[in-house]
Amino acid sequence: MHLAYLDAGSGSLIVQAVVGGVAGAAVAAKLYWRRLVARFRRQPTDQH
Amino acid sequence: MAHPDTGVRVDPGSFRDPGNRVFHRDGEVLRGLDERSARDWRALAGSGFFRTLLAAGKLCGTEEVAPTPPWSATLRHERIPFVSHPYEWSFGMLRDAALLHLEILRAALVDGFTTKDGSAYNLQWRGTAPVFIDIGSFQPYRDGEPWAGYRQFCQTLLYPLLLQAHLGVDFQPWLRARVDGLEPDQMRRFFGGARRLLPGVPTHVHLHGAMQQRNARATTSDVRAQLREAGYSRELAAATVRGIEKLVRRLDRRPGESHWSDYQRTCGYSAQDRHAKERFVEEAVAAAGAPAMALDLGANDGRYARIAARHARYVVAVEQDPAVVDALYRALRAEGERRILPLVMDLADPSPGGGWRGVERAGFAARTRADVVLALAVVHHLAIGRNVPLAEVVDQLAGLATPGATLVVEFVHPEDPMARRLLANKPDGLFPDYRREEFERLLAARCRITRRAELPSGTRTLYRAVVNG
Repeated sequence: MHLAYLDAGSGSLIVQAVVGGVAGAAVAAKLYWRRLVARFRRQPTDQH
Repeated sequence: MAHPDTGVRVDPGSFRDPGNRVFHRDGEVLRGLDERSARDWRALAGSGFFRTLLAAGKLCGTEEVAPTPPWSATLRHERIPFVSHPYEWSFGMLRDAALLHLEILRAALVDGFTTKDGSAYNLQWRGTAPVFIDIGSFQPYRDGEPWAGYRQFCQTLLYPLLLQAHLGVDFQPWLRARVDGLEPDQMRRFFGGARRLLPGVPTHVHLHGAMQQRNARATTSDVRAQLREAGYSRELAAATVRGIEKLVRRLDRRPGESHWSDYQRTCGYSAQDRHAKERFVEEAVAAAGAPAMALDLGANDGRYARIAARHARYVVAVEQDPAVVDALYRALRAEGERRILPLVMDLADPSPGGGWRGVERAGFAARTRADVVLALAVVHHLAIGRNVPLAEVVDQLAGLATPGATLVVEFVHPEDPMARRLLANKPDGLFPDYRREEFERLLAARCRITRRAELPSGTRTLYRAVVNG
């Protein structure tokens, strides 16, 4: 993947979704939901 | 950083993006592009928004010239008459620069482009018109990605504007001290309690800071992928830019009145004095033969800068009070005057070199070679008000000029009411050298005095002098 020369800041990228109105907030919510789901999916495999 | 064999001097302020670099050759401003940047440039040059903004003068004039090895392509840029830094701008200037950056980004997004960064240093001025200079910043927009320059935009443009608009805190010292601007966490401390709710603060300051902390371990490439999968789109990126634009337009509180705002009325000139002084200045600048750059030190409301602009191609008007500079900027914009650049700077504490090695952003003295220097009602403020030895004041005035330049300087006699007011704040006998004869002797050591005129009040003398080579 091509990265920009500037460190855009992970938090700075996500906050842009939130300030982009209702549609943006939905994207941010989806991102957090996916992170949450991924964490629960990962846990059982970690224990084996 | 000069290469003597090729005559190329690499610009010390252009290294952060390795894909392109600004350099100087034979008085020209050139930009070398690597292979990827050259591809981006060709796509950009063929795009509608770029041509439109270029024609409107909102982008710095740019054309491709024969490539200079080792670069794949080379661009030649228009020369900006005087390079200034964001901490030398007034609130209205920083705001207009921010709005231009956002306007350009919005137009770019429509045509499938974005900017790699969002720094206040992407902008410069032609008089009172902001210009976007970082042509190397444009690249094709990649689907699903937020603006990489948002953080930089907040730190160098939005946060300084919030500080001034919401709290009345002058932003200039913050930007001068930190080349990368204010961090979200610093800003959060300013905006506690009820201030958390001020426009733009809950999201761009508090949420931004909190998100940075919570995502400190996540890499930007992971977060970009996650946002893309969650459905982030170009339309969303455009909506975000529009939202920031709307916020910046709301931030229009003018800086308050200050001591210097009313200086022209309270400084004790008679109409006769003023008339004689205006004539003296006008004749001096006219006799300098269409000078390329005149520098007005202690410009106040710009009366003499405007007179200089009748004859000089460009005038830089320096004044220490941000509120006064802001009023001057707005007045010049309203008049449609485009050849006077007002700047905020204290002459006793001029802009130092900043950034990497102290040369990434050149100090004021390193940037300034004026053909005419006006120092009207300035010397006594430096010599008495700030205790600068008179010889040093003369050295500094001459040092800002090219050899052969015209210096127009006013010496306020110790008996003058304004000088007496300043002297009354200092112990008796502190400045035995502050005398007209001594000033004249010092001036004659650095310059050839060609004219001398005492103002009708009899307590001020004007000099026209040619700076020695």
